[in-house]
Amino acid sequence: MNRHDLKTISEQMKTKHGQFKQKVCVCCGAGCLSSGSEAVLKKLQEEVKLKGKENEIEVVPSGCMGPCNKGPLVKVNPGQTIYQQVEGEKVSVIVDEHLIADRPIEKMVLFSDTREKPFINSQEDPFYKKQHKIVLADCGDVNPESLEDYVFYGGYQALDKVLFQMSSEDVIAEIKHSRLRGRGGAGFPTGIKWETVYKYVADQKYVICNGDEGDPGAFMDRSVLEGNPHRVLEGMAIAGYAVGASKGYVYIRGEYPLAIKRFELAIKQAKKIGLLGANILGSAFSFDVEIRIGAGAFVCGEETALIASIEGQRGTPRPRPPFPAESGLWGKPTLINNVETFSSIVPIIACSGEWYSEIGTTKSSGTKVFALAGKINISGLIEVPMGTSLREIIFDIGGGIPGDKAFKAAQTGGPSGGCIPAEHLDTKVDYESLVALGSIMGSGGLIVMDETSDMVDVARFFMEFCMDESCGKCVPCRVGTKMMFDLLTKICQRKALPMDLERLEELAVFVKETSLCGLGMSAPNPLLSTLRYFRNEYEDYVNKSQALAGTR
Amino acid sequence: MPKISVKIDDKDLEVEVGTTVLDVCRANDIDIPTMCHLKGLVDVGACRLCLVEVEGTSKLLPSCTTKVQANQVIHTQTDKLKKYRRMITELFFAERNHVCSVCIANGNCELQDLGYKVGMENVRFPYLFQNCEVDSSHSKFVMDHNRCIMCTRCVRVCSDVEGAHNWGIMNRGYQVRIIADFNVPWGDSTTCTYCGKCVDVCPTGALWNKDATQGSMQKYPQAVSDLVEKREMKS
Amino acid sequence: MSLLDIDERILDVAALADIVKCPLVDGKEFPQVDIALVEGSVTSDEHWHEIQDIRAKSKVLIAFGDCAVTANVTGMRNYFSKDEVFNRSYRDAQSNDGQGQPPDHFTLLKLHDKVVPLHEVVPIDFYIPGCPPEADTIFYVLAEFLNGRIPNLEQERKLKYG
Repeated sequence: MNRHDLKTISEQMKTKHGQFKQKVCVCCGAGCLSSGSEAVLKKLQEEVKLKGKENEIEVVPSGCMGPCNKGPLVKVNPGQTIYQQVEGEKVSVIVDEHLIADRPIEKMVLFSDTREKPFINSQEDPFYKKQHKIVLADCGDVNPESLEDYVFYGGYQALDKVLFQMSSEDVIAEIKHSRLRGRGGAGFPTGIKWETVYKYVADQKYVICNGDEGDPGAFMDRSVLEGNPHRVLEGMAIAGYAVGASKGYVYIRGEYPLAIKRFELAIKQAKKIGLLGANILGSAFSFDVEIRIGAGAFVCGEETALIASIEGQRGTPRPRPPFPAESGLWGKPTLINNVETFSSIVPIIACSGEWYSEIGTTKSSGTKVFALAGKINISGLIEVPMGTSLREIIFDIGGGIPGDKAFKAAQTGGPSGGCIPAEHLDTKVDYESLVALGSIMGSGGLIVMDETSDMVDVARFFMEFCMDESCGKCVPCRVGTKMMFDLLTKICQRKALPMDLERLEELAVFVKETSLCGLGMSAPNPLLSTLRYFRNEYEDYVNKSQALAGTR
Repeated sequence: MPKISVKIDDKDLEVEVGTTVLDVCRANDIDIPTMCHLKGLVDVGACRLCLVEVEGTSKLLPSCTTKVQANQVIHTQTDKLKKYRRMITELFFAERNHVCSVCIANGNCELQDLGYKVGMENVRFPYLFQNCEVDSSHSKFVMDHNRCIMCTRCVRVCSDVEGAHNWGIMNRGYQVRIIADFNVPWGDSTTCTYCGKCVDVCPTGALWNKDATQGSMQKYPQAVSDLVEKREMKS
Repeated sequence: MSLLDIDERILDVAALADIVKCPLVDGKEFPQVDIALVEGSVTSDEHWHEIQDIRAKSKVLIAFGDCAVTANVTGMRNYFSKDEVFNRSYRDAQSNDGQGQPPDHFTLLKLHDKVVPLHEVVPIDFYIPGCPPEADTIFYVLAEFLNGRIPNLEQERKLKYG
């Protein structure tokens, strides 16, 4: 395949799609699938055929559209009308009324159950209006199982541009210019990371995509891998070209079978027509990608543990330096980025680093995908510019707290993050502001808690998670997480002494400072942040402790 | 080898490029306690006892795996480090069942010595009281998991020096355990060569000769360090 | 009882202090004291109340010996459940009458689930580890306290476990 062929595919798809008057996308992300979207897709296709409209109306599976708790979701284009909780008879109604009679059904559209005046065009709804979709731009429109469809949406144009119009240095300069920061959580500047790998001289270098998303309540990477796998693949190929790597690995956690299936398919499709493999698009650049499946260890999301796991070793981290950029997979210079980071590459190359850098805040450019979960009216996947306030995310986009309960805290960053209380709701979310509040950006999990949440129990939950997921290599994390969990349990059982609270705090700071990897260093964060903002809840437990009263 | 200058605890030192902070300190009478480190074995940075403060770096770095860089200013004996070393020691003692009075290594134990060195008169944190197995299936040796501190010296000496790969690691977190082969009783291992190197390098009473009694077990980690050094000289 | 290991130096101690309560000096009530040396760990309700009482009446409370400091051998019952331990001792042991019933007697301890060292229950002022503690160490610590100084085992290289 050469550059001309890519254009041909694009043209063919334009002609093909041009034949249809309407395109119906049925969300086939894991969320909607679990509420039965596959049957909806089948039934829609059958109904359309039954009415003899299969040449006018296209019915395709797509990736995640966002409001996952309203699934199965069906989107009709043009018009961007989204129907929620589509099942049974609703399918026929959509076909007859909207698709054939062109009368959108207001009482069935998205949020028709909660909004007085729901929007026929979903994009006018506040849920979408405040979002800015870059990573998820085509997610929900593009058919994730079709390379041709991806090409129709402009796919592989960025790779083409890079291969024939840009040098490695140009690509790196563009990424640096965008000020993109790693979306895996720590926020290291992506361009600088790429440049570091590029500068090491080696016979072999590697690119790794970290898709071992493990935070409870987080599903950003899963949705991207499921919804638009070619975007990630293209981003990796561009990275390979920029840093001088000819081999890539995608590490996807085993709990994501659909993501694995779709990504495998994407690799197969790309290899078949020469978008992966030797001499891509007729250039001198060769790049190949393999999938590695994680076996369910949270710690394998840590880059050195992930690398050990790919090598076939026990998935445990090792001290850095040396960083993977110098000595990574099999001792070779290795670029490792997260799924969302790779997904941001294509738009940066396609538009420009300048354009990207103007979105978001000065220190944190671009957009961030969040997975909304917990006590919130609309749970699901959203993408907002950096610097959007928590209030906007939770109340304007997420629709606030169910049952008129009061907001208590938002937990960001999963087990590595912290709880942010109501007084900081107007904080503009970026890497620095969250750290200042004792939390972290993390990979983008955002769990909302209302007034009924017990913050000590929240800390205990996350500590149990870290205790279970600690690899056991270094002493502070291995023993410290277990001790902190035991002490938190003791507090919750009202058996703790004031001394226990002191010990707990001492351990938390110690584990944070002395652990070998990010897991241990961040494991005390939920505890420390709840102690910081909700200390009274801990003290209540201890003051009412039975141990003080002499009954045991 | 080109030399660089570093400053450790107010001592100005000229050292060879590529030397670890720990090696520099040991060569200059700067005392840093260690457990997982053993000269001759690959360092893993797991016990965290050897953490040091490097000016300009917010994180504490393990001196065993960190190589000195030109003009670094390093502190190895700050109050914070001393406090953390004691806490690590306390966590070692609290994790499993180091009942010294009934241990074969009582009086010849690196963990005991560590406790004395860091001034640990008691363990301020709650003991976990894990019920660990004692594997006495081997004809020559015993593995008492109650005394194991997961330094993994045995694993490394078996794979890297003896080449037998008898020892491995299973489970996660505080439930992590040293295993023979794919978790068989040591006596059923098909890879153990009965060399006893693991017993020699074990810092505590976890690995011992079957004929040892309370307080009688002597360990010779230095023997393995010497062996590796001689091999390297030969090659 | 390790106190007696200091041999004739007990006379020096006696010159500076009255020994008002110990296994050799009987007394129903625990009196107000300047220094209390407590051996053993907390295994039962009875122990728990006893140590609270001692703590309240002592100016300096010293955890004395490995059992008091670490739970030591007494803590080794923590690998089993309270019932397992109780039944093994009072129902299934060879020396019992074999009636298959644990005896119901008021002198039997109300065991706690876990044996814990003293400092898990009350604040401790000083620790003398060792099983048994060295006679020299015991004398050193007592002499320091009785002369109004704070002993330091680490500095004196007198730390010893086991």
